[in-house]
Amino acid sequence: MSDDPRDPAPLPPGGRVGREAPVSRPPSADDPAPSPPPPRVRITAPRNGPAATSDRRPVARLRGPGTDTGPTDIQSVYVRSLIRSQLRLALICASGFVVATVVFVGVVVFAPALDDVLVAGVPVSWLLLGFGVYPLAVTVAALYVRAASRNEARYRSLAEDA
Amino acid sequence: MSPAIGYAAIVAVALVSVLIGFYGLRISRTTSDFYVASRTVRPWWNASAIGGEYLSAASFLGIAGLILLTGSGGMWFPIGYTAGYLMLLLFVAAPLRRSGAYTIPDFTEARLESLAVRRVTSVLVVVIGWLYIVPQLQGAALTVRITTGLPSWVGSVAVAALVAIVVAAGGMRSITFVQAFQFWLKLAAIAVPVIALLIVTGAVEPELAPAQAFPASDGPGALDAYRTVSLMVALLLGTLGLPHVLVRFYTNPDGPAARRTTVIVLVLLSVFYAFPTLFGLLGRAFAPDLATPGDADALVLVLPDRLLPGVWGDLLTALVIGGAFAAFLSTSSGLVVSVAGVISQDLLGGSVRGFRIAAFASTAVPLVVAFATEPAGLAGSVGLVFAFTASTLCPVLILGIWWRGLTARGAIAGMATGATLSGAAILGGALLTAAAPAIRPLIEQPAAWTVPIAVLVTVLVSRADRRRMPRGTDAFLARLHLPERDRG
Repeated sequence: MSDDPRDPAPLPPGGRVGREAPVSRPPSADDPAPSPPPPRVRITAPRNGPAATSDRRPVARLRGPGTDTGPTDIQSVYVRSLIRSQLRLALICASGFVVATVVFVGVVVFAPALDDVLVAGVPVSWLLLGFGVYPLAVTVAALYVRAASRNEARYRSLAEDA
Repeated sequence: MSPAIGYAAIVAVALVSVLIGFYGLRISRTTSDFYVASRTVRPWWNASAIGGEYLSAASFLGIAGLILLTGSGGMWFPIGYTAGYLMLLLFVAAPLRRSGAYTIPDFTEARLESLAVRRVTSVLVVVIGWLYIVPQLQGAALTVRITTGLPSWVGSVAVAALVAIVVAAGGMRSITFVQAFQFWLKLAAIAVPVIALLIVTGAVEPELAPAQAFPASDGPGALDAYRTVSLMVALLLGTLGLPHVLVRFYTNPDGPAARRTTVIVLVLLSVFYAFPTLFGLLGRAFAPDLATPGDADALVLVLPDRLLPGVWGDLLTALVIGGAFAAFLSTSSGLVVSVAGVISQDLLGGSVRGFRIAAFASTAVPLVVAFATEPAGLAGSVGLVFAFTASTLCPVLILGIWWRGLTARGAIAGMATGATLSGAAILGGALLTAAAPAIRPLIEQPAAWTVPIAVLVTVLVSRADRRRMPRGTDAFLARLHLPERDRG
């Protein structure tokens, strides 16, 4: 966090970004340093009217203990390491997809023999380019979702131990 | 083909969309319902709705037309449209849902604690939305002209009016139902004709022998490396900045649900895009005379009747016309919802009445632009909108989610740079290429250089502006990435 001492950003007219009072967690035995956590920002679309009450539910869930940034240093270390591991995972998956696609398309492009093989009157090279890349994308997506949930589960068990 | 089929199909789709829209109205009453359907939409519904919203005129008509016109190079468009959701899944889906923001301007304002950033983002969302609605209206004009013989403007006006009414009346919840319905309608409307035509063409001699229909000069071997890479940058990264797609992620109950939804979207799109690709391949073998820039986009509408005269051909034609209309209606209404949401919050106080006024305003402007501009190929003009989105909103979203160092000034500088460069390439393209023919590919596919420059400017200005890093950055990033406790 910045050590810039200036005041929090002024509220926009009408309070589009509602700044809530710091969330005070009930003190507990496994929470040795009860310094106040940073203020949380709640964003709502409509500034008044029925939504002001009806959108409480998801916000309340966001504020649950699992999503609390936590007041202790060790927890912010865990948070940063979670963000880093999720970013690393996303970058690995993205480059994996790009490399797989380049290799696949490279084979199609640099194998002129594939132009001469016809399936139902269409060259195989056209069919491979037209239909072959989608399974790569779906596979990478499925692998990513499993790994991302694993990262989150690891964070959760670390945060509970702390 | 007989105009009666065209009329019947168009009226039927319009009627069903309006009916579902008003059915949704009865169960959507509060302001937050209007905006994000109370975040209670299940992944399968949500994924169908995203697919329904996403598959536009470019997907339904443009891809087959482009494959007919240019060969296998056209196949890169659906690949990019689909793989864009992979990038969305990897970098944006879950964190954006957890941000709790309703729209992209809400997100950037909360992340960077700056009203100026919000204003710039809002302007970009509105511009992108309008740019994207224009090809939908032009596609509607083409469809109405080809199928009923009425003047082109009737199609654009009809789609614009319907969309304004449905969006203003129903809001987002009903749109979720409409969109999900539209996806399955579009899939059926393109899959059934393709399968029927594949069965029929087994017995028909193609107009062209394979060597002429699929020459190597139009095949995968004739790949233009720069253009293909630049197009992929635009489509992969542009998807994650599309306002009408992002607003859908707020309707997931939590981060993991947002991820599941995205994977389902990937599967649905992969299945869908097989069919326009097949249509394009059939067109090359059986309708080579349509391969002219003005007519190619009509391939999907015309081919069933050519290959299968009689009642069955008429029925299939009615089906594809209905699907095409569903495409124009659903994409335009999704765009109008997000553009109207932004306009009504920033200008009209966020009330339901303001949303309705904004909905009418946001269909009127693209209608005027659609009349004023010459229709280009549908897939190509949508590709340029992706390039613009990838150069403006995408860097700010990705850096905002993953990089602590982003500041408000950096974001504004990056968005302004990206908008100026890609906007100049799109608007001034004809002038620039006439002056310097050598840079033609750079101008026609700008994303490969505009996106890196926009990212670079964002990062450099943010670094220079380090002392103004928003105070709440760490708390906000933690909120984006931490799992929800009450989900196993």
